[in-house]
Amino acid sequence: MIERQLTLIMENKPGALARVVGLFHQRGYNIDSLHVDPIKDLKKYEFIEKELDIKFHENEISKLIIKTTVADSLMRQILRQINKLIEVIAVSDNDSTYLKGILRNENLL
Amino acid sequence: MKLAGNDMLIQSLINEGVEYIFGYPGGAALHIYDAIFNQKDMQHILVRHEQGATHAADGYARATGKPGVVMLTSGPGATNAITGIATAFMDSIPMIVISGQVQSHLIGTDAFQETDMIGISRPIVKHSFTVDHQESIPKIVKEAFHIATSGRQGPVVIDVPKDLTNPDDLFDYEYPNDVNIRSYNPPVEPEESQIVRVVEALKEAKRPVIYAGGGTIASNASEELRELNDYIKAPVTNTLMGLGVYPGTDKYFLGMLGMHGTYQANMAMHNADLILAVGARFDDRITNTPEKFAPRAKIVHFDVDHSSVSKIIEADIAVFGQVKNSLKQINNKLKSESAIFSDDKYADWHKQIDVWRQEHGLDHDMYKNLDDSLPVLPQAAVQQIYQSSGGKAFVTSDVGQHQMFAAQYYHFDEPRKWINSGGLGTMGFGLPSAMGVKLAYPDEEVICITGEGSIQMCIQELSTCSQYKLPIKIFNINNLALGMVKQWQDMNYDGRHSSISYEDSLPDFSKLAESYGHVGIKITKNSELKSGIEKALSHKDKLVFVDIYVDPNEHVYPMLVAPNGSLKDMWLSKGNKT
Repeated sequence: MIERQLTLIMENKPGALARVVGLFHQRGYNIDSLHVDPIKDLKKYEFIEKELDIKFHENEISKLIIKTTVADSLMRQILRQINKLIEVIAVSDNDSTYLKGILRNENLL
Repeated sequence: MKLAGNDMLIQSLINEGVEYIFGYPGGAALHIYDAIFNQKDMQHILVRHEQGATHAADGYARATGKPGVVMLTSGPGATNAITGIATAFMDSIPMIVISGQVQSHLIGTDAFQETDMIGISRPIVKHSFTVDHQESIPKIVKEAFHIATSGRQGPVVIDVPKDLTNPDDLFDYEYPNDVNIRSYNPPVEPEESQIVRVVEALKEAKRPVIYAGGGTIASNASEELRELNDYIKAPVTNTLMGLGVYPGTDKYFLGMLGMHGTYQANMAMHNADLILAVGARFDDRITNTPEKFAPRAKIVHFDVDHSSVSKIIEADIAVFGQVKNSLKQINNKLKSESAIFSDDKYADWHKQIDVWRQEHGLDHDMYKNLDDSLPVLPQAAVQQIYQSSGGKAFVTSDVGQHQMFAAQYYHFDEPRKWINSGGLGTMGFGLPSAMGVKLAYPDEEVICITGEGSIQMCIQELSTCSQYKLPIKIFNINNLALGMVKQWQDMNYDGRHSSISYEDSLPDFSKLAESYGHVGIKITKNSELKSGIEKALSHKDKLVFVDIYVDPNEHVYPMLVAPNGSLKDMWLSKGNKT
C-alpha cells in the first residue's frame, strides 16, 4: 500500500465534489488529502479543449487533487469508477489518464 | 412558445414520447400535477405508495426497453421511492425520477416536507440534477433521458423546487433536438483488435461457455447472441438477469448458473477453458469464491462499463462497447469462418455436459404428481403455471424461494419476459412491476409469481390494479413462512427458526383480493393445481389472486456451498453435497 495521487478535471458545478467524495466512501476507499480549485489559467488545459473540440471559460472547470492509500490492484478500479462520474472530464494517476472516457497510457494532467 | 416551469416539465416528457407517469401527488408537486391535469398525451397512474410507483416504472422499462417515469412530491414522497430507485440502479434499468422540492428560499431551513433528495439518492443514481432555473428544464430533461438510456443504463433524479414550477412565471420553451454532454462519452463500438483476439480464442477453445447476463438484454442483443451461437454452437448459460436472452428451451442452453443455478451450468463454468462473459458482471451469486472461480478458463468480457471489467474476475480479453455492436462485429468475422466451427468441434464437451445433465439436472415433471396425500410442491406449482400459460407470459417475481423456483422452472424463450429484482433483491417488487408490464402490453398475459412474505410488502397496489383495471394473474406460493431465510436457518443455524413465521396472522388472501373487486382462488391439493391455474388464466378481464398452499419444508437446490466453495461445490438436496 502506497500513497497515490489522483488529478481530476471536472465541471465546476454544485454537487460535483460530493459525488467524488461520496464515491470514495461508497466503495470503501479512504481520502488522505483533498484539494480543489476552480481553474482560472486555462492554458495548461488547451490540449483538452483541442481534443474534445470545446471551449472552457474561466472558473467553469475545477481541478481536484486527491491523495489516497490503496493497494495497486485497486487503483485501476478507482480510476474507472471516477471516470464514470458524469461531470468528470479527465482523471489521471501516475501512469494513465481517462480523457472523456478514453484511456491514454500516460499522465496528461 | 412561452410556458411556465410546470408545463415545461410536462411538455418535455411529452416530447420524449412518455406514455405513462407513475406517481403520487403532494404539496411540492402541486403545480406539476396541475400541468398533468391539463394535458392528454400521457396517463398518470396513481399508485398507493411511492415504492409502488418506482417498481411499476421499472417493470415498464424492463419489458419495453424504454425509460420508466416516476413523479414524486418532496420529503416522504421522495424517501419512499428510494428502495425502488436502488432496485433500478443495481439492475441498470433506465428510469427518470422527478421529485418536487420545497421552494428555493426554504431549502436548508428544515422546511415542512423538506429532504435532501439529491444527497439521499446520490449513491443509487447514475446521475442527478437540481433545477436551478425554469429555462434549464428542457435541457435537463433531455440530458436526463440521454444519460438514463445510454452506456450502462440507470436511474436519473431531477429535483425541482416548487417556485420554479409556478404557473405564473412564463419563459421561452424550445425542446432541444440534440444532446451533447462534453464530459460524458460511453463506449459504443469495440476495438477491432479485441474482436480478432476473441475469434482466435474461440478457435483454440475446447470447452467454451457463453455466460450472458442482463447487459445483453439492455443492449437488445438477443438476436446477435443467438446468431453467434448459430456459428459456434457452444453451451450457453444465463444469469438470473439474463434469462430469456437465449432460448430457455434450446438444446445448447444449460439453465441459469450461480447460487441456485443448475448442476450442468455450474459444472460447465467450473471446467470451461474459455468463458465469454456477455453483459454480465461476475456478481458474488455467480462466482462463489472468486479465487476458486473457473480455474482453467480464459475470460473474455464484453461490457459497456469499464468499471465492471476486471473488478471481480480479471479479464484476459476485454471488449468495451455496446454488447450489440461487439457481437455484430464478431458475427461478421465468424460468417466467413463458420466452417471452422463444424457441428462436432465441441462434441466431447457437449457429451460431458449431457452426462452432468443426466446425473443431477432439474426434474421438470414434478407437476405430473396428482397424489393428494402429498403436499403441493412449489416447483410443481411453477411448472404447472409454465405449462398452462404455454411459456409465453411475462412473469414478474418477488424475492426468495419462489423467485428461484420461477427462474429454474419457467423456461423463457424471449428476452424482457422475466422481470425480477436481481441485484438488490427487493421484496415487494413483483406486483407493482407487473402493473407497469401490463400497462405496456395490455393484450399479453402478465403473471406475478410471489410469496406470502413479499406480496405483503406492496399489497396496497391491489387497489391500483382495481382502479386501472389491470387483469394481472398473481400466484402466491404460500409456504406460511419466510422460506429462503428459513432454508438458511435450516442449513446454517441447526434449524433455529428465528422470526420467519407469522404464526396465525396471515390474511385470507383470496378474500382480501375479493374485497378489492378481484377474483380469489385457493389451492391446497395437487389435484386442484391444474384446474385452479387454468381457471385463473381463463379470466381475461379480471385480476385473479391464486393462493397456493405449498410444502413448507421445501428447499431450493442446487445451492452453492459457501463460504470458500467453488462453482463445483453444491448442495444437491438436503444432506447431499457434490
